[in-house]
Amino acid sequence: MKTWSISRRLITTVLLVELISAVCVTGMAWFYERHTHFRSFDVMLRGRADSVLGSVQDADDPADNVILDKKDLAVPDEDIYEVWDEKGTLLGRSLNWAGTAQGSFAVNKDGYRNLNVSGKPYRFLLLHGLRVVDPGDKNGGVPHHLTIIYGSPTKHVWHAVIDAVQFYAMAGLVLLVATGIIMAWLLTRSLAPLRSLAAQAAGVSVNAWSFSPPEEARATKELAPLVSALETTLQRLERSFSQQRRFISDAAHELKTGVAVVKSSLQLLRMKERSAEEYQAGLERCEADCSRMEEIVAKMLTLARVENHETANAQPDRSTNVSEVLHQVMEQFSSMADLRGIQIVRSSRGPFYVALKAEDCGLLLSNLLLNALQHSSRGSQVMILARETDSQVEIRFEDQGDGISPEALPHIFERFYRGDPSRNRNTGGTGLGLSICKAIVDAAGGEITIDSTIGLGTTVVVRLPIAVVNPSAAPSAQVNAENLFCE
Amino acid sequence: MRVLLIEDETRLAENVAAALREGPGFAVDTAEDGEIGLYLTQDACYDLIILDLMLPKLDGLSLLKKMRAAGDRTPVLILTAQGETRSIIELLNSGADDYLSKPFDLGELIARVKALIRRGKGAAHPTLNVSNIEVNTLEQTVRRSGQIIDLSPMEYRILEYLMHRPRVVVSKRELLEHLYDYNWEHHSNVIEAHVSNLRKKLDASSAQPSIETLRGRGYRLITA
Repeated sequence: MKTWSISRRLITTVLLVELISAVCVTGMAWFYERHTHFRSFDVMLRGRADSVLGSVQDADDPADNVILDKKDLAVPDEDIYEVWDEKGTLLGRSLNWAGTAQGSFAVNKDGYRNLNVSGKPYRFLLLHGLRVVDPGDKNGGVPHHLTIIYGSPTKHVWHAVIDAVQFYAMAGLVLLVATGIIMAWLLTRSLAPLRSLAAQAAGVSVNAWSFSPPEEARATKELAPLVSALETTLQRLERSFSQQRRFISDAAHELKTGVAVVKSSLQLLRMKERSAEEYQAGLERCEADCSRMEEIVAKMLTLARVENHETANAQPDRSTNVSEVLHQVMEQFSSMADLRGIQIVRSSRGPFYVALKAEDCGLLLSNLLLNALQHSSRGSQVMILARETDSQVEIRFEDQGDGISPEALPHIFERFYRGDPSRNRNTGGTGLGLSICKAIVDAAGGEITIDSTIGLGTTVVVRLPIAVVNPSAAPSAQVNAENLFCE
Repeated sequence: MRVLLIEDETRLAENVAAALREGPGFAVDTAEDGEIGLYLTQDACYDLIILDLMLPKLDGLSLLKKMRAAGDRTPVLILTAQGETRSIIELLNSGADDYLSKPFDLGELIARVKALIRRGKGAAHPTLNVSNIEVNTLEQTVRRSGQIIDLSPMEYRILEYLMHRPRVVVSKRELLEHLYDYNWEHHSNVIEAHVSNLRKKLDASSAQPSIETLRGRGYRLITA
C-alpha cells in the first residue's frame, strides 16, 4: 500500500482551500473595484461634461447663436469633447478629436459608450443639455438644446483596479505561505508526542517489557486511546509471555529432574556387581521412572492443548451431558474406590448439558474424582453433587480427606505445584492435574473453586455454563478411558 | 562422613543416597522439604549438605542464606535444574560451594562430594598422610609404613575421619554423629569395639601406638 502523510495531506488540503478562497476573493475584488471605480469615473465624466456645457456662451450675434468658449474650460488635455446645437451646428471640439457625425454616436441607455481612440481605450458620455443665454435686449433668455459628447481615457481607472486586485492577490499569497509554514511547524510540534510514543513502543521487547508512555501523549486527547490500548495490549502480552516462559522453565525443570532420576537409577545399578535379582528390581524401578516421565510429558501436552483452546476460544457449540460422563467416570474408578474402601455417593438429577467437549469434560471430572479418592482415607465418603442453577451447571466434589493447608491453597492450581511432599510420595502426582482442570474450566468460561479444612476434607466446586445448542444435535458423550486416567 | 541430602524428588533422593552409601560409604540423611532440611542442618554434624533448589515450603536458596546467616560453615553442593548463569552466580555468592546441573552423573556427584568434604576438612589431596599412616580416599586403602592394612568399612570410616583431624581429641559422640545417619544413637555401643579393632589392626605391624583413648573425652590420632 502506498504510504501517505497525514501532515502533508492536511497542509495540502488547507493550502488548497486557502488558494481557492484567495482566487475567489481576488476575482470578487476585481469585479467590485471595477464597478466602484467606473461609477466614480462616470460621475467625474458627467461633471466634466457639465463644465463643458457651462463653457457654452452667447455668441453676441443677432441670431442669438452660442459658441463654445474654451478659454475658461479646465479639463485634462487627453480628454475629448464635442458640442453640437439643436440645429446640428458644431459649436466646438477638443483638438485631439476628429469628430463624429451628428446623431450617429450610439450609446447605451445610460448614455455611455466605450471606444478606442487612436489605440487608447476611452469612455464617452453623450449629454443632452439645455443652455439658456440671455442677450439682455429681449424678454427672457433664449434656450439652446445642446448635445455634448465627452470622453476620457479609462487607462487610469484600469490601473487603479489592477492595483487593488494585485494587492488582494499578494495578500492572499503571503497568507498562503504563512499558513503553510505555521501549519507545518504546528503539526510537527503536535505530532511530537506520537513520535516519542513510537520510540517508547519500539523499545519494548520480550526482555524489556517496561512501557512508560510520555505524559504529553497521554494528555493528548487523540493519542490517549492509543496509549491505553498499547498499555493493555502490552500487559496482556507480557502476562501470556511470562506465563509461557514459566511453563517452559517449569517443564524443563520437571523433565531434567525426570531424566536425572532415570540416569541416576541406571548409574546406581552399574556402580558395582549385583545379583540378578538386584538388576531385575533396578530395571523395574527404571521402568517406573520412565513411565512417570511419560506421564508428565503426556500431561504437559494435554495442558498445552487445553490452554491453546483457551486462547483460540472454546467452541460454544459443544454440548456434553455431564450426568452421562459422570456415570462413565464413576464406573471407571469404582474398582479403585472399592480397593481403598471409599464410598462414592452421587446425587444428581439430569441430564445437564454443558458447553464442553466430551473428552475435556471426562478429563475434568476424572481428575477431580481421582484427586478426591487419593486424598480420602479408608472408610470415608466422596460425594458428587451436580445441579443446575440459573445459567450454570454446578458440580461439587466433597471428600472427607486430610484437607489442604491454608498456605498451599492459593497455589493449588499452579502448574507443577505439589501441596505436600509426603502426599506426593504416596500418590506420585505430577502437579498438573488441577492446572489442567482449571484450564478446561477457564476455556469453557466457567469457574473452579477449592475450599478445604485440614482434617475435615476438601470441596471442589466447578461451575460451567449451560450449553445453548440443542442436545439432540450434539454428538453423544464419548469418553476415552485411556485419556481419562491421568494420575 | 555424614551427608545431608535435601531433595523433594524422592526417587532421585533414594538413588543419590544409595550411591553415596554404596560408593564412598557415607552416612546419608535425607530431607524432603526445606523446613525439615533447615531443621536438620541445625545439628551441625554434617560434613556436607547436598541441596536441591526447588523445594516445598522453603526453597534451597533461602535455606542456604539462612544456614550461612546462622554461621553454619558446612560445605554445600547445590543440585539445580536451572542452568542460568545469573542464578549460578547468585548461588555461589550466597555461600554455595559448588553446583551440579540436573541431570548429573552419579560418578561426578560422588567425586565432587568427596572433594568438597576434603576441602572442608582443610586437605587438598585425596591421599591423607599422618606420621607413617597413609589413607588413599579414592581407593579407600590404608597403608602403615608402606604396608597395606585391611580394614572393615566402618573401621576405615573412623580412621578417615580421624586422619582429617590429627592431634585433635574427637569425642565418641562426634564420631557417631559423623559416621552414622540420624539413627546414630543405636550404634553408640559398637563404636568402642570398632575403634578397638582398628587400633589392633594398625598397631599389629608397628611398635608405636596409633590411636590414643582419653577416658571420658574421646580418641586422638597420635602424631609422632
